[in-house]
Amino acid sequence: MSKDRISINQYALMYLLLIAGGKFLNLPSILAADVGHDSWLTIAFSFVWDAVCLVFLLWAIKINKDSQLDLSAILSKTVGKVVSKIVLVIFFVMFVVRTNILLAACYKMFAVTFDVSTNWIVFVLPVVALSVLTLKLGFTSVARASQLLFGIIFICVVSLLFSPIAQVEFGSLLPIGEAGWGKIFSTSFLRSFWFTDYVFIYLLLDNVKVKNKVFSPVLTAFAVGAVLTVAMNAIFVALYGSLASQFDLAMSKIGVHFVSNSSNGRWDWLTLSVWLISVFIKIVVFFYCAYKCLEKIFEFNSDKINFWAVGAITLLYMLPMFISTEIALNTVVQYGLLVFALVQYVLPIAMPFLTKAAQIKTAAEKGEQPQKASADKVKEKIGV
Amino acid sequence: MKQNMLTKFMQATSGDEDVRVRKIECGISVTVVCMDTMSDDGKVSSYVLQPLAYINEATGLTDIYTRLMAGATCTKVTSLEKALENYSNGHTIVFDDDGNAVSVDTRTSLVRAIAEPPTSMVLRGPREGFVEDVKINITLLRKRLKTPDFKYVNISVGKYTNTAVSVCYIDSVADKAVVDDIIQRISAIKTDGIMDSSYIARYLDKNKTLLFRRVGITEKPDIAVAKMLEGRVAIIVDGSPMVLTLPYLFMEDIQSPGDYYENSTMTALSRTLRFISVLASLLLPALYVCLQVYNYQIIPIKFLITLMNASESIPFSPLSEMLLVLIIFDILREANLRMPSAVGISLSLVGAIVLGDAAVKAGLLGAPAVMIGALSGIGLFTLPDNTLVLSLLRLLLTFIGGTMGLLGVTLAMMAVIFYLASLQSNKSPFLAPYAPAVPQDLQDGLMQDPVPSMKKRPRSISNKNKTRRG
Repeated sequence: MSKDRISINQYALMYLLLIAGGKFLNLPSILAADVGHDSWLTIAFSFVWDAVCLVFLLWAIKINKDSQLDLSAILSKTVGKVVSKIVLVIFFVMFVVRTNILLAACYKMFAVTFDVSTNWIVFVLPVVALSVLTLKLGFTSVARASQLLFGIIFICVVSLLFSPIAQVEFGSLLPIGEAGWGKIFSTSFLRSFWFTDYVFIYLLLDNVKVKNKVFSPVLTAFAVGAVLTVAMNAIFVALYGSLASQFDLAMSKIGVHFVSNSSNGRWDWLTLSVWLISVFIKIVVFFYCAYKCLEKIFEFNSDKINFWAVGAITLLYMLPMFISTEIALNTVVQYGLLVFALVQYVLPIAMPFLTKAAQIKTAAEKGEQPQKASADKVKEKIGV
Repeated sequence: MKQNMLTKFMQATSGDEDVRVRKIECGISVTVVCMDTMSDDGKVSSYVLQPLAYINEATGLTDIYTRLMAGATCTKVTSLEKALENYSNGHTIVFDDDGNAVSVDTRTSLVRAIAEPPTSMVLRGPREGFVEDVKINITLLRKRLKTPDFKYVNISVGKYTNTAVSVCYIDSVADKAVVDDIIQRISAIKTDGIMDSSYIARYLDKNKTLLFRRVGITEKPDIAVAKMLEGRVAIIVDGSPMVLTLPYLFMEDIQSPGDYYENSTMTALSRTLRFISVLASLLLPALYVCLQVYNYQIIPIKFLITLMNASESIPFSPLSEMLLVLIIFDILREANLRMPSAVGISLSLVGAIVLGDAAVKAGLLGAPAVMIGALSGIGLFTLPDNTLVLSLLRLLLTFIGGTMGLLGVTLAMMAVIFYLASLQSNKSPFLAPYAPAVPQDLQDGLMQDPVPSMKKRPRSISNKNKTRRG
């Protein structure tokens, strides 16, 4: 059981921030390029898959309430140590690639919107430093900070999203399903890498404090996040129509409408910086998860920060310097989609059963030891 | 062996200039020892010498002890260490020839009058403040807590100072585990001397806080009692008017002693103002620099033109200019603290007129930078206990804002919040009731419920009894 424990409410709020943190950057333009004005439908379908998997994962958390087994323990006890490590490697790669995509998009936003002279290294290293600080302080600090900052981030996101509402032509979202339902469905699977934010809970299975309610706070947070994302996408596509696929920094573009007159100052930039906190929280959480994967794979001392693990992750974070986001995404879609789909969509559904099986095995192991001890005593008594 | 106690005592005090020794025959022969500087002559005379002069046929020290008991606080002393400790504190020690000893409390009371503490002035509410005497301070607490549940444990700390430290709590409210932990940590202190309660505060800080202290300080008995009623523990140190309270939450810095004597709506408004002013103090200089250097588009155009006009002839970069203003302000504050009050006023004038006005007129500093520096400086004083820490953070943030822009400021603020969120003070999360969110404790957060509505004790503070009344 981890000492670094967070409540289910903290988990729910953090999850909501993670949803808001990743999907408002270049996802809208990518989806607009794929399915045009039906992109909001693609997002809605993606969230339906997410909801199903989330319910199973939450069920696993509920089952795991008393035993507090971690992912590595659950997998080792049920499918074996080798498979467990393979799954952890997949998770590690997934967290790193997802962070890479996020970092690249975020960097682009900073460079384009705030300061053209922002250097990649100058951008990545402080973010890594913040992530390492979190390792030192403990994950509880991120969970608590998410709770503290949630209100202000939420207000900023909502005010940014709904600032252009007067100019939006919702009629341009019609006809619904123009791109073809098959394409809408398949795109929601092909772009799954942008969704399934619940994956971080795998690595926090033994960190969540479960008291009474598990489903309602998390599902509420999920619903709010889903509605915001769908609304944001619909507003963006309705606002920019066929040009939506050209603007790859959606939030920044929506922010233009935040103030009526540019002579009033670009206050939207300040609002954007507050929203960016949710992106950084997402990066920090994924860094923590990637680190935890390495910790379990190489089984190093969890009390001290492992310099090599941090170094490896940092180096991997530098990848977008050499590969563009598009290439990274296309490569993942081409080669890794099915592998990642295993941990994104199949594993959550299997998790409650695996957790239960691991619990039974743990109980059996614990039960054996006292019996063995008493048998030894009897042997001693009779002098065998 | 008992004879040795008197002999050893005399050997131990042989070099003292202020030791007073008298041999008296009162049926048995006794030796009276006291310290001239620490003992009150009147008390020595009326509690010890006069009674001994009237006793003609004492049968032994026990007899003397019983008779002396009538007029003074007497204790039998069984060890040389205790005898020396009591003697050093101003007690008079009466030895018989067999080496038995009785200690009579004849301490001189060198205390100032109870007055309103300069650090916690209030418009409404009690004006009593703690003084430097532990006994009087406990009396001030007792005066408000007329219950047998009020308990205190005395601990002597410091090899040479033997400072009395009292750990006070309400038995039916405070968490025993927290009380025991505090007592254990104070008892474990190994040091030459304790000059003030802040020494103890440093020892009580388990994980050695880098920036923010995790021990509360108050000079007012009403505040100490209010905190004890919530389950906290008060620590009184002899020689210090600053009473420590544990556990301590960051929110306590935003709260002011007068808050509870005002209308709750006004209190909520004041607290929000304090919070905003602290945030503004921290962020204004950093934002001013980073908006000027990197993101001037955020500033409304008319304001930007005014800014540009004011700073076009300044020979420094916006970062150097702002750092200069902040450092000058910090120097002035530091000098002001150390100056006698009469000179302090002159210094403020010199700071405000010569350094501010003249620097602007000479074109060395821009008026907006001076204004922002001054606004930020004043804002810091809304949290008087953390002014230094906040001032340091402000300098750091300004530097980061000037070198890394909005990205740096955002990440630095996140780091500060993560750090604060990770802190604990005796089982209580430092940022409670906001991180973690404790809905019940929001009754006394930035917003404050009227006192009659606060029926529950804070959940963030570990205590045994959650209900205040009913």
